[in-house]
Amino acid sequence: MRIQIQREDLLKPLSLVGGAAERRQTLPILSNVLLRMSDAGLVLTGTDLEVEVVAKTNQTKGEAGEMTLPARKLLEICRALPAQATLDIKQEKDKATLKSGRSRFSLMTLPAGDFPSIETAQWEQTLTLEQKPLKTLLEKTQFCMAQQDVRYYLNGMLFDLSGKQLRAVATDGHRMAVSETTLPTPIDSTRQLIVPRKGIQEMIRFLGDEKVEVQLQINPNHIRLNLADLTFTCKLIDGRYPDYTKVIPSGQRTLLRIGREELRGTLNRVAILSNEKFRGVRLSLKTGSMNIVAHNPEHEEAQEELTVDYKGEDLEIGFNANYIMDAVSALESDDIEFGLSDANSSCTLHSPGDTSHQYVVMPMRL
Amino acid sequence: MPTSPTNYWPRAIIHIDMNAFFAAVEQRDFPELRDRPIGVTNGEAGTTLITCSYEARAFGVKTGMRLYEARRLCPDIVQRPARPRVYAAVSTRIMRALVDLSPDIEVFSVDEAFIDVTHCQRLHGSPPHMAHMARALVQRASNGLPCSIGVAGTKLSAKVASELKKPNGLTVVPPWETRAWLHDLPMEKICGIGPHIAEFLTRLGARTCGDVAALPLNVLVRRYGVVGKHLWLACQGLDTDPVVTEVGSPKSVGHGKVLPPRTTARRTIETYLRHMSEKVAARLRRYGLQTGRLYVGLRYTQGYAEAAFEVPYGPPDGKRFFECARRLLDGQWQGQAVTQVQVTATHIKDLNGQLDLFPADAAGSPGDSAELRRVRRALAIDRINARFGEFTLAPAELLGRSAMPNVIAPAWRPDGMRQHIPD
Repeated sequence: MRIQIQREDLLKPLSLVGGAAERRQTLPILSNVLLRMSDAGLVLTGTDLEVEVVAKTNQTKGEAGEMTLPARKLLEICRALPAQATLDIKQEKDKATLKSGRSRFSLMTLPAGDFPSIETAQWEQTLTLEQKPLKTLLEKTQFCMAQQDVRYYLNGMLFDLSGKQLRAVATDGHRMAVSETTLPTPIDSTRQLIVPRKGIQEMIRFLGDEKVEVQLQINPNHIRLNLADLTFTCKLIDGRYPDYTKVIPSGQRTLLRIGREELRGTLNRVAILSNEKFRGVRLSLKTGSMNIVAHNPEHEEAQEELTVDYKGEDLEIGFNANYIMDAVSALESDDIEFGLSDANSSCTLHSPGDTSHQYVVMPMRL
Repeated sequence: MPTSPTNYWPRAIIHIDMNAFFAAVEQRDFPELRDRPIGVTNGEAGTTLITCSYEARAFGVKTGMRLYEARRLCPDIVQRPARPRVYAAVSTRIMRALVDLSPDIEVFSVDEAFIDVTHCQRLHGSPPHMAHMARALVQRASNGLPCSIGVAGTKLSAKVASELKKPNGLTVVPPWETRAWLHDLPMEKICGIGPHIAEFLTRLGARTCGDVAALPLNVLVRRYGVVGKHLWLACQGLDTDPVVTEVGSPKSVGHGKVLPPRTTARRTIETYLRHMSEKVAARLRRYGLQTGRLYVGLRYTQGYAEAAFEVPYGPPDGKRFFECARRLLDGQWQGQAVTQVQVTATHIKDLNGQLDLFPADAAGSPGDSAELRRVRRALAIDRINARFGEFTLAPAELLGRSAMPNVIAPAWRPDGMRQHIPD
């Protein structure tokens, strides 16, 4: 097999595919990328057996055939070559030669026949929606996903589909993000699926802000994302997600309207003197004011007061400042609504009158 | 006595090994035991020697022997129950004193330490001279307890060296002589070559460290991976292990216990499991930790049963841990005699008062007053027990438990949560 391609034409699909290639080398071939040349153009595939990325480019000349090359090295070579360089890649037995200008690289190949592909069952559901709302949905929730939690089903994002509604839910057990968007065409059933962390992070990378549509295909074990030049397939997490609807407070005793930048700035300053590891801050509410205080093990203290429209009994509640700041940063409105009940119950954060993106944060006992 | 540049060691490690440590402490504190064969056991009821004095060793008595075997070899042997708190206190004093020599000290166990003195040669003098200083520090801190010292260019060589002359020996192996010195030593002297690896190497015709070094590296790597490479290097005095001064935060917290012979009564096994569960929970609480997974194991005369249970993060609760242990009994135990039980918490995180969205059981929400009461009760019990002794206040199920003295774990360290030895 032999191909000739412009650096830029290879760089884009290669960097999309490279992220999927395995770095930990459980199977040597997983750190390679598969190049398949046919009349339709060049197709690149990378996989770690959990996710698979297939990217196309048609700006190629060459003979049909397939080979595998070390993904990271190929990507680094591509990046390091000068702009507009032409690459000539040719396979000879178990080596491949890459020539460009006066550079020459000899790379190890592994048999293309050994390159694994993810076997997917029949797709049961197909959704079509614009890229932008899907990207927003993922971006507004992804930071709440757990990381290497023993509750493996939390190390991913729940897609909850019902009728015209697609909800994305992420939680690490301490705080939770719930975002929703409306589907152009409703589905006739309900469905829940859990997409692993890596899958979500890759999807965000692939999705753009253009008004171009993206197709999602779903079956009990996999989800696939189809774009013009790219197909992304990801294994789903097999597990039961906790009933998230139960932990969204139905009615908060207090609903405070606070300037978003004001709250973010205050938390940012006060949290500097909180315990570096636990990040606890104490909120004290009195009629008309909210006092935010932090202490650290060195007995230093930070304090700031916000004017709020609070009426009612005095309330003291502790939070991990990072959880509140993450939510406040993800929201975009000028003001936010901050809902509270008591020192042992969760708080809610969302834009006033709009719960399409909402955050639930459990308090800390300080 | 600054050292001249000609005999400057590129790397210098001192290994200090306290001789028959527990027995030596007993003899130091009770003059009537001096010059007599003594064996230390876990409590009065212990049947296994955790160490014995040199007078007993002269009769062929060894650490790990059953008491009755020891009596057969040495009828006059005196049994002494261990006093782990005293040993830990003596050890802590010794380790703190050694810091005067160099701060680069790795406490390897309650009676062993490595000191990296590479950077102190200009200050204190030659490594052999520093070994004498170390001995003086140990003796002053411990009122004259014996120790063996090895000085070499690497940790493993220093450890081998300290083993050679006991008690109160000093063996110096300059780095440039290490290879030749190791050459004729039996390979089993290297810490890490146990009976299993030794058998493998013997089959390849290796007997000494020199023989192992002469084997192709490949042979060891293919069989034992990085460990193989490490041992191959160690046999030539080329191991590069650094002296680790930082004590890592614990990855797991566990307690286990050997049961009386032929225990088949579920009630007794449950008591032991409950005891271990409560110990694990109390220790986690004491150090402000929580766990996400609990491992429970039963060892039979032949074989074992084990299971890992996902437990919700939150204030550790011995009763909940015990429920996991019970599930293992229900699911896997078929009436066999249990020789040992183990309860270990893994996936350790700091307990920081953060409440959980999805609490333990559907019934108890985090703000739930029953949950809150349970946490407060556990913390109150902990405070009482911290003052009056472990298990002063304990679940009624533990009333019938047998005396189970605490022991010093191999992971014991003079500071932090690893210094933990309850009363």
